[in-house]
Amino acid sequence: MLFNSLSFVVFLVIVLALYYSKLFSWTNKKRMLLLASYIFYGLWNPPLVILLWISTVVDWTAGKQLAIEENQKKRKMWLLLSMFVNLGFLAFFKYGNFLLENFTSCLNAIGFEYQAQPMDIILPMGISFYTFQTMSYTIDMYKRKIEPARTFLDFALYVTFFPQLVAGPIVRAKDLITQFYEEKKATANQFFWGAFLLTIGLFQKVVLADTLLAETSDTVFGSKDVLHSLDAWTGTLAFSGQIFFDFAGYSTCAIGIALMLGIILPDNFRYPYAAIGFSDLWKRWHISLSSWLRDYLYIPLGGNRHGITRMYVALMLTMLLGGLWHGAAWTFVIWGALHGIYLVVERLLKNNIKIKITPVNGIVLALLTYMLVNITWVFFRAREFVTAKNMIASMFFMNSEGKKVLQSFDIIKVLVVITLLFICHWLMRNTNMKAVSKKTNPIILGVFWAVLVFLIIIAQGSGEQFIYFQF
Amino acid sequence: MNLKQSFFVALILSFVAVVSWECYWRYQGLEPNIDDNKNLWANQRAKLKNFKPNTAVFIGSSRILYDIQLDVWEQETNTKPVMLAVQGASPLPVFKDIVEKTDYNGLLVVGVTPGLFFSTLFPQASPIKRPQSLVEYYYDRTYAQRLNHALSVPLQKYLAFYRDGDEAWDTDVDLKTLISRIKLEPRSEPFYPPFNNFEEITLERHMKMPERMITDTAYANTVKEAWKAILGGDFPPPEREATTNAFVELAKKFKEKGGNLILVRCPSSGLFKEVESKGFPRNAFWDGLVEQVGAKSYNYMDYEQFSNLHLPEWSHLSTEDARFFTSELIKIMKADGILFNSKTN
Repeated sequence: MLFNSLSFVVFLVIVLALYYSKLFSWTNKKRMLLLASYIFYGLWNPPLVILLWISTVVDWTAGKQLAIEENQKKRKMWLLLSMFVNLGFLAFFKYGNFLLENFTSCLNAIGFEYQAQPMDIILPMGISFYTFQTMSYTIDMYKRKIEPARTFLDFALYVTFFPQLVAGPIVRAKDLITQFYEEKKATANQFFWGAFLLTIGLFQKVVLADTLLAETSDTVFGSKDVLHSLDAWTGTLAFSGQIFFDFAGYSTCAIGIALMLGIILPDNFRYPYAAIGFSDLWKRWHISLSSWLRDYLYIPLGGNRHGITRMYVALMLTMLLGGLWHGAAWTFVIWGALHGIYLVVERLLKNNIKIKITPVNGIVLALLTYMLVNITWVFFRAREFVTAKNMIASMFFMNSEGKKVLQSFDIIKVLVVITLLFICHWLMRNTNMKAVSKKTNPIILGVFWAVLVFLIIIAQGSGEQFIYFQF
Repeated sequence: MNLKQSFFVALILSFVAVVSWECYWRYQGLEPNIDDNKNLWANQRAKLKNFKPNTAVFIGSSRILYDIQLDVWEQETNTKPVMLAVQGASPLPVFKDIVEKTDYNGLLVVGVTPGLFFSTLFPQASPIKRPQSLVEYYYDRTYAQRLNHALSVPLQKYLAFYRDGDEAWDTDVDLKTLISRIKLEPRSEPFYPPFNNFEEITLERHMKMPERMITDTAYANTVKEAWKAILGGDFPPPEREATTNAFVELAKKFKEKGGNLILVRCPSSGLFKEVESKGFPRNAFWDGLVEQVGAKSYNYMDYEQFSNLHLPEWSHLSTEDARFFTSELIKIMKADGILFNSKTN
């Protein structure tokens, strides 16, 4: 079920009505939320709920054993079981065909004639999100960083909680499970703020991403021709906006819906396109994934504890795997590699050049960061290397006779939206929506809210899927 | 922060804005209507899963969709019509799906629109891609999508501004479509004239030409202008042999299952008739197809009563004439010994 669909409106109203009715005890409310979460997921593809159940049962059992088991070897085995099951799901469902293709290419490269039929595998929606979330539980249990979930119901709800099930934020057990222990009820202010966040998220997705930017990006990246520089840049900028609004929109909806239930989810985006440099960017973009990768990959790989070279290797490996997490294709690996290189270069530069950030050089550096991010988006969006190569060549004015595929108005529209996006991120860089709202007259905030609602309704998003569902 | 106050201001203002928006579009002449989208098609396709013994199926393009009036057909043949024709499409992908993925062996009426039927087999070309995407949607649609469609139907029925079309020619008034109508100097492709709405469809996919197309000549002429621009474009040469062979092969399989196949060439006039007679001469295209398929076939040109029909935009019959066409066609078929109601599942 998509947040931007009529069925979700009905679903949410029913869930909220049941949640706030006096019919149920807190335990039964949690059962209702769990059932609602399975319905939310199962309306897409019912049999794939079984994967959620397996993941839940395995990690619940592993977590329980990790809590009581003292034998280090056995503890390791329980952790490995959890990782084997979760990473096994990912390997099979997400990377099965990718692995097969590369295996075939390797065999062909060494002279074995072998052709394999691609497997007909459905990618379960949100598998990368819930497997990472549930793995964080067993890893933290193994490291004895957290207490085991008190009941199976609490744990199952942690794995399956519908607002963030299919596209995050990836929430740690200590931040979410503990919230299920006591009865939760949103205060009036929390409820309305949650509704406001839901509106903002839907506006980002339905109006900004799908209505204003998606078509331009699709036209440019779907073109088989070598493009004019302006078209290549416009398409890439459009995609940079589309993916931000799409993904941040989902996270904002998730946070808002959870808040309407009295549950607090962490921020996932903090105005990333105003980032100055790449370490700043990764503290602002998909924060729950970057912190997951930092805690469960970069630090275990050595982090910065074993010298500079090892640190750079850990950084590159983390970013390469982060790239691969997004999709089973080498273009995603290149995307990750570019970010890794950017981070390494930035650290090298920071060690040698000290710059005091002022408003003037800050905006220049933020723009530079944003432009470099756009180069990486080309690899993220292009489905084939040849498309990415042609796009990059066009963006660097190497295709002087490129084809024009966009109309003048499309270009103006994208440039206006992206300029406003950048200005908005810059102005909001050191603050947040709540702080700004507090300073705003309630009537003006209401008018602004009404404009958003009206635009969402007249945009009539026809249930376009969120980009991150495929990851 | 008084969010409660903001919430109620937002609620009232957005309600007023949406009501005003609805009034505005009604003032502009827009009426609530059902869109001929993938959900409507998939719901009809689902009827072939457990089809009734007296089911009759129609495939082809928009001409058979407009020209066969389902209520007339049902009444006069005592069959349950299932309309699977797709606008702007070749019948091949749907025919293939029926032959290979269903047990259907009843009456199958195929509308032959030469420019689409003989156009191509290339999977990425729109006459093939469009119906193929509907077939795929039928198999892949989720329960959430079914639910969304069910919930959208009352909105489509009662709100003029709420549209749920899939195609670029659908005259939706959603924000994206409205923005796309803003035109500056053409920079890439030339701009085409807008396709004003000329469809009224029911949930059973019973299509009618709206009354305005008959009473408002200027409005009908805007559609003709759109056709002129489309027909004036460059088209690859038709793949007569390949499309005919593909159809013949499927027809053979369908008949082997006991199916009853009928070919119908629906009327065209004006620029369409001109283009079709030049680009798709009857003896080379239609006659060749009929001969190779070996099925009963009906070409409107062969019947005196179909010589003066009214096609407000050259390609589809007005509702009144579509009812006449359907009724007369059934009489002709009956006289020809067609059994409408003879199969069992």
